[in-house]
Amino acid sequence: MTVRTGTVSRRLHRLREDFDQSFAEPARSHDEEHLELLTIRAGGRPYAIRLSQTSGVHPDRPVTPLPGPQPALLGLAGFAGAVVPVYDLAALLGHPVADVPRWLVLAAGTPQLGLAFHTLDGHVRAAASDIIRESGDEARDGRRGSLRGLVDLPGGSRPIIDIPATRALVHTLAGHAQAGDEENAP
Amino acid sequence: MADRDPLRYFRIEARELIDQISAGVLDLDQQPGTDQVARLLRFAHTLKGAARVVKQQEIADRAHEFEEVLVPHRDESPPALPADEMRELLRLNDEIAGFVDALSGPPKAAPDPAPPRDLGPPKPVIAPPPPVAPTPGAEPAPVPAAPIDEPAADRAPERAATADLDELLDAIGEASSRIAPLRDGGRTLAKLHRTVEHLGDRMRVGRTTVTDAAARTAVRRLAGELGALGRRLTDAVDQVERELDEVRGRAEGLRLVPAGSIFTALRRAVRDAADAEGKRVRFQATGADVRMGPNLLNLINGAFLHVVRNAVVHGIEAEDQRLAAGKPAEGTVTVHVERRGRYAEFRCTDDGRGFDLAALRRTAEERGLLLPGADAGPQALIDLALHGGISTAPGVTEVAGRGIGMDVARDVALQLGGEVSIDNRPGHGATVRLVVPLTLLSMNGLIVEAGGTTATMPLDAVRRCVRLAADEMTAATATARLAHEGEVLPFLPLAGALHAVPDEDGAGPGSGVAVVLAADRDTVAIGVDRLAGITTLVARPLPDLAPAAPVIASVSIDLDGNPRLVLDAHGLVAEARQESAAARGDTAAATRPKLPILVVDDSLTTRMLERSILESAGYEVDLAASGEEGLDRARSREYGLYLSDIDMPGIDGFTFVARTKADPQLAHVPAILVSSRASAEDKRRGTEAGAAAYVIKGEFNQEELLAHIRRLIL
Repeated sequence: MTVRTGTVSRRLHRLREDFDQSFAEPARSHDEEHLELLTIRAGGRPYAIRLSQTSGVHPDRPVTPLPGPQPALLGLAGFAGAVVPVYDLAALLGHPVADVPRWLVLAAGTPQLGLAFHTLDGHVRAAASDIIRESGDEARDGRRGSLRGLVDLPGGSRPIIDIPATRALVHTLAGHAQAGDEENAP
Repeated sequence: MADRDPLRYFRIEARELIDQISAGVLDLDQQPGTDQVARLLRFAHTLKGAARVVKQQEIADRAHEFEEVLVPHRDESPPALPADEMRELLRLNDEIAGFVDALSGPPKAAPDPAPPRDLGPPKPVIAPPPPVAPTPGAEPAPVPAAPIDEPAADRAPERAATADLDELLDAIGEASSRIAPLRDGGRTLAKLHRTVEHLGDRMRVGRTTVTDAAARTAVRRLAGELGALGRRLTDAVDQVERELDEVRGRAEGLRLVPAGSIFTALRRAVRDAADAEGKRVRFQATGADVRMGPNLLNLINGAFLHVVRNAVVHGIEAEDQRLAAGKPAEGTVTVHVERRGRYAEFRCTDDGRGFDLAALRRTAEERGLLLPGADAGPQALIDLALHGGISTAPGVTEVAGRGIGMDVARDVALQLGGEVSIDNRPGHGATVRLVVPLTLLSMNGLIVEAGGTTATMPLDAVRRCVRLAADEMTAATATARLAHEGEVLPFLPLAGALHAVPDEDGAGPGSGVAVVLAADRDTVAIGVDRLAGITTLVARPLPDLAPAAPVIASVSIDLDGNPRLVLDAHGLVAEARQESAAARGDTAAATRPKLPILVVDDSLTTRMLERSILESAGYEVDLAASGEEGLDRARSREYGLYLSDIDMPGIDGFTFVARTKADPQLAHVPAILVSSRASAEDKRRGTEAGAAAYVIKGEFNQEELLAHIRRLIL
């Protein structure tokens, strides 16, 4: 009996690691008709993220809390010697919850930015025809500023979180000009 | 280290400047613009100063001639240089380039007993004679007769670097010695392994000699030994880890340069300027040990060469004037470097005549920067000096002048995201202050734990640590005060300041430690759960998208690669003061978040100066450049205080205050007027408009301003 659970848990562990690892690696190919998507949950709600707009997904990364004026800023995480600010995706989307998010996706682009969410549902390839673009009236609601369109997936449609728009929101919250003006400083 | 080849850095800098000058002249030829003239003037001026420091008189002369050609055109828009002047610029540029190229050739080895110049009394220690290759046919540079009188500091950087390496080697040695217990542990483990195999063998063959009791005893002993081994290994690993942390911190620190490494060049510049002016000037410098990135220090060095030269030429009076004013015949120029949280402050103070405000006003009027008879206060005039185009030297001298020096300082500040300000004391001297943010900084830190968070405090601000029993901790937390050595200090529990999640706070605070911190001439006590050692670390700036509370200075990386917060002594002191005052006043205020301050002033320098003062006192600051903008901002956010100038384009400060008082939403916010107007009538108008305090810019005093603010905002 004990031997069996040991094997199962080891196998589970390996599967889980393989699974996690597959997301930590960048998406290898994109074609016109298909879109690589991460399906996630932030604050209990389902969303999708374009894999091409990210540069890595990490579970259980220690985040050092940083006291400051931004409640959505969870703190700082270390990545290969760099210090990356981590924002709570649920709070950025306007429905903060008390739970500490377990997953972290690194946004593509600079300066570095981590976005934390609670659950990773999976990694899917969606046909471009399943993407529903929204009409412009959504943009008027500030809260929805980070969402761009929906994707039809088995199990229901999910709003797509646009990472560049989310980055722009964070830049505004942090009072940071888009151009990295301090990067030239020694 | 630079002393070995005094021209090493000059060659690099000169080449860069020549490139920029060449490009600038060509630009000017094709598309003339005022800013191009100003830029060329700055490059030439910098080159002239640098050349003079390394005694390249030919280059300095050409650069000076270059300036002479351009100066008459600096205020033309667009500048109209006749063709022959343009040719002259190009010719001078080529000549300079030729001289610099000649410098780069292989130094003539043997037959060049370069005169010891003024490198101080002969020091046979390291340096072969500087490989200066005198340009053929050129006059030797004038050699000042007297040697430099403070030789000791010249070599300081090299010694410091050696000491750093020694410390690093010590730390590595210490870390290696911690490996021994691990090796012992390995041997013990091998022995235990043999014992277990032996025991297993005996049990497998089922020898009757092994009784249950004997087996039990053997296993029990084995378990005991394994446990002991485990503890030893854990201890050893902990120690190795700590030592490696130390090694890492010291190694990272080697990338940084002590501020003292620029003092030699500054000393030389002061001396040369004094020689040229026929003045006696003593140079003093403090803060040589503050370490920072070499690039940053290079830029500061360039700017401060101008600043100290200006101090000698413009500030220090001739000897007879000094004696008549009751001052010592010898003038003093002091450079002071200090780390202030995440900023480095460079101060240059002279005991000369201060800025000649009357001359500044005259020049400003002549240049049309100021309307004749306009009411410009001392600070406004000094702002003009900071923004270039004005010099107080009676004649344009060879060494300094033309106000370009201040331009360079301002440019460097801008480039580094810092600020420059001037504190003028007419008749007594002036202080030029350059404050720049540090990107990398090596420091010693005290690791503390509070509310489940680990953070580092700058050790140089820590005065002492006092153990507090649980009841003392509770009392100090409740009153926000702590009696310490006959003094009552403001007390701030760190967990509160870090908004740490109160995990086990159900039982109230347990025993802890009060860390007594001193900063800004103020002392406070910070309550932590426990101390976790001392570390050498390299603090790096907070990332761009992470706005943080003022108590956080920067961040370092711990051994596991995770960020660790580095606390700001100035921020902690300000926060402790504020919390303590709030606890004394009404308890409701203690829980209220600190409100930001709105600074309204049309002068960029004043805005920046006030912001820097307020931010280092721990306040959040918003800026507005006019009364109108101020009103917009005031309506868009809740402020704790308005700090407004009076004379501004558009509505003035009186009107601004009066309008906030007339607005029921804003009327409760106190306002302070800061102005160069000093008359009783203006003060009365300020009071009538509703200002709670009136501060005169000419008598601008940081402490007084902060005292007003603390009184009003708490």
